[in-house]
Amino acid sequence: MPHTPNRRQFLKGVGVSLALPMMESLLPRSLATTSTQTPKLKRLVCVGTYLGFYQDDFFPKQIGRGYSMPSVLEPISRFRDDMTIFSGLDHRGRNGHEGWKAWITGSASGSVSFDQLVADQIGGKTRYASIQLTCGTPPGDAQMSYTKEGVALPMIGRPSVFYQTLFRSDSDKARIEYLLKGNSSVLDGVLEEAHSLQRNLSQADRRKLDEYLSSVRDVEKKLQKQKTWLSTPFPTTDYELPPFDPVSPEQSFECESIMYDLMSLALSTDSTRILTFMVPGWSQVFNIEGRRLSAGYHGLSHHGNERKKIEEYNIVGREHVKRFERFLDNLSNHKDAEGQSLLDTTAVVFGSGMGDSNTHDNSNLPTLVAGGGFNHGSHHAIDRTAPNARRLGDLYLTLMQSFGMEIDQFAGARSNLNEVFS
Amino acid sequence: MRLCSTRLLLSVVALLYSVAFNSHLQAESLPADFQYFLQSHCFECHSGDPEFIEGDIDLDRIEVDWSFPDAAPFWTSVYDALETSEMPPRDAESRPTPNERAEALEWLERSLTNHSKVGGTLPRRLNRTEYEHTIRDLMGLEDFTVPHSFPSDGTAKSFDNVASGLVLSPPLLAQYLEIATGIADEVLPPEVELGTTPSRRYEIDPSSLGSSAGSGAKQIEDRFRLSSSRDMSNSAAWTSVFEAPYSGAYRLTTNALPFQTDRMPYPHQTEPFVLAVYARGNGKQQYDQFEKLRFLGEFEISADEGSPTTISTEVELYKGEVLGLRWTNGPIVSQPGGRNLRRDIVADWLSRDRGLYAAFLELNGGKRGDSQVAFYDDIEALRKSGSLDLTDPRLDTIPENLKGGLNDKLPHNWVKKYVYEEMHRHGPALDILGANVEGPFRLIEDLQTRLRKERSERLLGDRSIYPTEDAHARSFLQEFLSAAFRRPVSTTQLDAYVKSYKDHRTQFPNARLEEGLHQAVRRALVSPAFLFRGISPGKLDNWDLASRLSYFLTSAPPDARLRELAASGELTTLKVLEEETRRLLDSPQRERFVSNFTGQWLSTRALADIMPDPRLFRSQEIFTRIFTSAHRNAMIDETEMLFDEILVENHPIETFIDPGFSFRSARLNDMYGATLESQQMQRVTFPKGTQQGGIIGLASVMMATANGVDTHPVHRGVWLLENVLGQPTPSPPPDIPAIAPDTSGTVTMREQLLAHQADPSCARCHERIDPLGFVMENFDPVGRWREHYPIYDESADGAQELETEFYSNQGKAPRYGPAIDPSAIMPDGTTLNDVTDLKRYLLKHDSLFAHCLTEKLLVYATGRELGFGDRRVVEEIVKNLDKNGRGFTDLVVAVTLSESFRTR
Repeated sequence: MPHTPNRRQFLKGVGVSLALPMMESLLPRSLATTSTQTPKLKRLVCVGTYLGFYQDDFFPKQIGRGYSMPSVLEPISRFRDDMTIFSGLDHRGRNGHEGWKAWITGSASGSVSFDQLVADQIGGKTRYASIQLTCGTPPGDAQMSYTKEGVALPMIGRPSVFYQTLFRSDSDKARIEYLLKGNSSVLDGVLEEAHSLQRNLSQADRRKLDEYLSSVRDVEKKLQKQKTWLSTPFPTTDYELPPFDPVSPEQSFECESIMYDLMSLALSTDSTRILTFMVPGWSQVFNIEGRRLSAGYHGLSHHGNERKKIEEYNIVGREHVKRFERFLDNLSNHKDAEGQSLLDTTAVVFGSGMGDSNTHDNSNLPTLVAGGGFNHGSHHAIDRTAPNARRLGDLYLTLMQSFGMEIDQFAGARSNLNEVFS
Repeated sequence: MRLCSTRLLLSVVALLYSVAFNSHLQAESLPADFQYFLQSHCFECHSGDPEFIEGDIDLDRIEVDWSFPDAAPFWTSVYDALETSEMPPRDAESRPTPNERAEALEWLERSLTNHSKVGGTLPRRLNRTEYEHTIRDLMGLEDFTVPHSFPSDGTAKSFDNVASGLVLSPPLLAQYLEIATGIADEVLPPEVELGTTPSRRYEIDPSSLGSSAGSGAKQIEDRFRLSSSRDMSNSAAWTSVFEAPYSGAYRLTTNALPFQTDRMPYPHQTEPFVLAVYARGNGKQQYDQFEKLRFLGEFEISADEGSPTTISTEVELYKGEVLGLRWTNGPIVSQPGGRNLRRDIVADWLSRDRGLYAAFLELNGGKRGDSQVAFYDDIEALRKSGSLDLTDPRLDTIPENLKGGLNDKLPHNWVKKYVYEEMHRHGPALDILGANVEGPFRLIEDLQTRLRKERSERLLGDRSIYPTEDAHARSFLQEFLSAAFRRPVSTTQLDAYVKSYKDHRTQFPNARLEEGLHQAVRRALVSPAFLFRGISPGKLDNWDLASRLSYFLTSAPPDARLRELAASGELTTLKVLEEETRRLLDSPQRERFVSNFTGQWLSTRALADIMPDPRLFRSQEIFTRIFTSAHRNAMIDETEMLFDEILVENHPIETFIDPGFSFRSARLNDMYGATLESQQMQRVTFPKGTQQGGIIGLASVMMATANGVDTHPVHRGVWLLENVLGQPTPSPPPDIPAIAPDTSGTVTMREQLLAHQADPSCARCHERIDPLGFVMENFDPVGRWREHYPIYDESADGAQELETEFYSNQGKAPRYGPAIDPSAIMPDGTTLNDVTDLKRYLLKHDSLFAHCLTEKLLVYATGRELGFGDRRVVEEIVKNLDKNGRGFTDLVVAVTLSESFRTR
């Protein structure tokens, strides 16, 4: 029969064109991505503090290159030409601690975080596609990285476990090898079971079982990859861990320091190229350089705009930045196999999923990017009230595109920040 | 979301059907009249270019092959669309006459009745809850839970135990495999060698001691000061620089000295101070009270403040444990179940010291983020200021409950903080001057290894009765696999497992029995026969029925009795099946059915994700200033207890609509305008026919059908149609913008929606949805009764606070906005003035609810979307229900006895 567009089809058509942002659809696709560039980035690190920073002392007062270093960031001032500070970026997301989960996922918890998308692209080249870290047991159900299936990836909170992961001892290796081998024959076995079951099933039931069969085959491939890596010897190190894991909240700065040290080892030994690190915070009362702070960390983060509490909150913030400085220093002193400095080839995102911790407001998230060979040295202030204002997801898009990924949308962000930062 | 997925499913069905349509040859032609009907009334949208076909439903067909499994569901959806007059739409160019419609329906109904058989559940993967219960029962691992990273289950037809929603993905299978190793380790542990390790000495400086939370105990100069309390997280000291590196024996040495001054508000203590030593896993049990922690011993410290006492003791620690020190006989300690002396002390202070009392009232919980030090300082400063009004009549009475601060409305325990700080400054307290740990002197098996070995012995039984290890293995596997697969293992299956056991043995000639079986257990736990139920071919047999019944009512595999009845073949007799249904409904395990079924049917699972707007809790007229998980849990408890009583007492199913009773506690006072005192749930009664009680009126349901911020009549109307009236509505066209409540209070939702109804294609559904939603507008987003919409003077952005935060009660209370008009006219012309009329309406049309509830139960029980064939079964169940007093227990029994339940 003749096919004439009717009202419903018209509505449907309008719906489709409305779903695309006007600007985007007018631009040629080649401009929206940077897929033609050779990827210069090799590694990605995201470090987020759970209880945030005091925004006024994290963001510079001046825009552009000549800004004076904010007090919280003072410890990394010698890296000012290797980093860029962004203000005004966020995800237009949910407030509260719960909203923290959106930091690198860009949207409500349960959607994929961008580090995992990068891991899909480059993770196959290393023993571990990515490693997730924290200190001790983070409060509540704090989470950071999410897989495409919406599963929060467990974080390693013990330095000794991270160490074992990187420099596994032989006894562990033997057991893992044994289990891997066993699991291969387990999968062979169940595959046979499934096949013989399938012969007698109805067509619909068989389709259901196909899900099972294809999953088994997929996991078999994963085991194969693990086996290959197992026969590759683990790297060695002379790095020494303390005799105990500093995982209690009071010891969290020690833990943070060790984690950073091991992180640079993870990158320099090319054990992985993707790391995420959530620096947690509880109600622990810190002793910092002989000074016992007047309230617990969480209490300080709700400073109520009292000068004294802000000052102490900033002391804690600076302690985090000091440890971060040592990490950047380690990266700048190491060269990778191609002779490039780790810092120049690693994009390090540092910040927090918490905007104003005092009010749990998750707008204007503290954000800086160090390393990665970008055009650094400035403070970019984004006017978040402007129409079509850039979001944090735009920064992530720039980073992902710098890995050679063809991606032009991420969690509500549909452009990138290439014009100011690439 | 749900509606979208239905839509998607339908498209997939349609698509698959089209594929089959071309490839099957045994097809029945559509009658010419019916083809003409489709062509005249449906082709406008449902034929032609696939890209433009509405809903991907192509009706340009000349024949139907009923042997294809998706044919019946496809034509059922066509039948439904026609039968409910949803299609063709009112604005269609050509609408059938009632006669034409009836004729088309007649052919469809006849064909569907002939070709849509009862049954058709696909193999069902165990969902998360079922998997956990199955592992617990099968392995004897009572506390087993899947790790946090376990992927969540999909749902279909609103339930997470419906086969089509329970997809198996590679990451999930990878998790199953990983968990299987962990489980096998727990019951068949790998050999652990103790080995040797050098002993060393760990110095523990007082500055490295810590309380696990807060600042109840703290470092004061060069010592660490313990106050006395039950609360190990606040008043004890934990070694954060020493964590046992190996399980073994260590020597703890510590120096302690009492701290007492003339300014302390307690009598001088002369008997020795008692110091107790505890252990807990590092980072674990941080907030537990001492009686839950591992006690290692206690020691006397001389009360003489001049000379420290040194104690030295050997302690056995498991790997990863830290040591805790606690002062047990201070003035404000209370033993479990004993009196809380803290209240007595504070009440005594307040009655003697009006200045202190007035300062407490003035400070009213302290400033945001204050530490106990600052709070104490502020109280002291106020007392000295002379600005307090000591004639305030409030100072004459001591409040009954000091728990949450003075007016019992402050969430933080300021009294406790004041008391701790008082002890830190003026005593009494116990100071730890230093400590060290040396060891390990000898290694011990850690606790985990010990427990694992015990389990292994239990599982493997007496080894001596088997002539060879291989015979032992075969016998073990026979029993284990039959339990794991929930039916006797076939010889083929068993042989395959025995073969792989022997292959392992050949490969590792020195391996123990445990290791060979370890691999077999891992395999069984990822086998399709374990992960799926209802996966055997053929008719639903005794074993399948045992599983179906057991997972339906207990979310767990069949127990010994059910297995016995399945083995003897008696379970399929209706009498035995009824007895077993009633037996399981009597067992405590029915609680899982109650919570899993209500959690999804009545949507109470959604509560966990709803964070109410704090502005809702800012009125002086209410007690709930912050909404916590305790409120949420009380709401869920109420729902489950109501359901459970109806289930156990065999009340008529209409009790769900108007019960005249419920279960409440003081936590729900604000939700129902009640004045209960106890936090314990108790049964309350009230007259029937009022706004109180029943599904419509449960705070849980009203909260779950809102979003925590405002209410939306459409959401609640759709929910009620789907879950109570059994008349689900199709999803709205994708290009229709959502209507959002206007919070400025100028246009009500009612006005917006009525405007919306002017469009006939919208009115088709909204005339059914909106009246129900309007009537429920009297319930606010957390289920409280209201007569007015609120108007807020503060933006939600500024007010968003975490519920666990302690300041959400600050800020302005909402003002009264426009009055709520709950009246509505139902599509049949009935006028509803308010929610009591709605209940009356539902009771009058009681077969709607009976159908709906029966369908929900059947979907949950069988794990499938009900087909056309199942409708006749539902019809029969509902008819018989009328004959037997409409009892709910009887309905559940009728469901398990039905043909639908007993058919695959």
